[in-house]
Amino acid sequence: MSLPRSDYDPRRVCVNPFPFLNISLGKHRRSVGVYLAGGLFGLAIWTFLDAAILSAHAHPPYNEPDYPVPVHVGFVDWLPGIHSLLGIIVINLIDKDRVRGDEGYGDSRAVWRARLFLFVGFALMAGGLAGSVALLVLKYILAGYQEQYLYYGYANVAQNVELMLSAVILWIAQSGSGEYEYNLAI
Amino acid sequence: MAAGLKTVILLSFVLAVGFLMIILSCALWSNWLPLLVALTFVVAPLPNALFAHCGGDDFSTDIGESSGPVDLGRFITAIIVVTGFALPLILAHSEIIHPGASVMSIIGGGLVYGTILAYSAAFKQDDDSEF
Repeated sequence: MSLPRSDYDPRRVCVNPFPFLNISLGKHRRSVGVYLAGGLFGLAIWTFLDAAILSAHAHPPYNEPDYPVPVHVGFVDWLPGIHSLLGIIVINLIDKDRVRGDEGYGDSRAVWRARLFLFVGFALMAGGLAGSVALLVLKYILAGYQEQYLYYGYANVAQNVELMLSAVILWIAQSGSGEYEYNLAI
Repeated sequence: MAAGLKTVILLSFVLAVGFLMIILSCALWSNWLPLLVALTFVVAPLPNALFAHCGGDDFSTDIGESSGPVDLGRFITAIIVVTGFALPLILAHSEIIHPGASVMSIIGGGLVYGTILAYSAAFKQDDDSEF
């Protein structure tokens, strides 16, 4: 049995293939992608923790010691990151061969369920991102705080963007063409 | 094996300099929080080393560097390395440690981690596993 090695792969998820996939990193493409995803994940965690630690150590300005610190990072600020993290976990728990809808893998309802959970995962991540933007606007910008307190909101948005980038890079790196060629070789 | 005695001496020297930088960054300002950086960078290669043997057995082909546990180890390693670089910056940003201590501990941590990487690259065993 031989499948034609053409550009068109009937099993792929997206209609338009990602154009930057053809960067010739060779056999290290997968490990580089995984390292990059892990680095972005750590960066996301520390971006938000930076804001949280900064808020915990915030002090009034030196020239007016009686001026209270107007806003702190509370539990509400943690919620978008928690949702994005849940989304990442859900997305990574899905078997990627199921989503592609191979004939050999189970019935069609399994494919349908896998795609449903993939949708739930991406909805959680998008909800986290939208929640962080809403938090930035509602809690920080509309309240009219100074620039140094707006940083808490910007850090939250940056955290969720980095988490989403991490998940996308991990997905692309793990659904590479290595296993596909391996299957062809059998 | 090209790497010999001189490599060992050079690497141990660099490692000692790295630890010296970290300990100086703690002791000069008498604030011992940057010592966490040394701990972080020492722990960093551990997940890779643990999960490296979960990858493939003798029956898998050469492409078989693509398995879940190996990827998990790489993911955790990358997180820990980023943590090692981000922790002094954040501590300095919150004015818990001095910025000089932050820079010194980052340089020292980079030296320590570079030593570990260079060591595992120089004295790699015959199996073509990347560190």
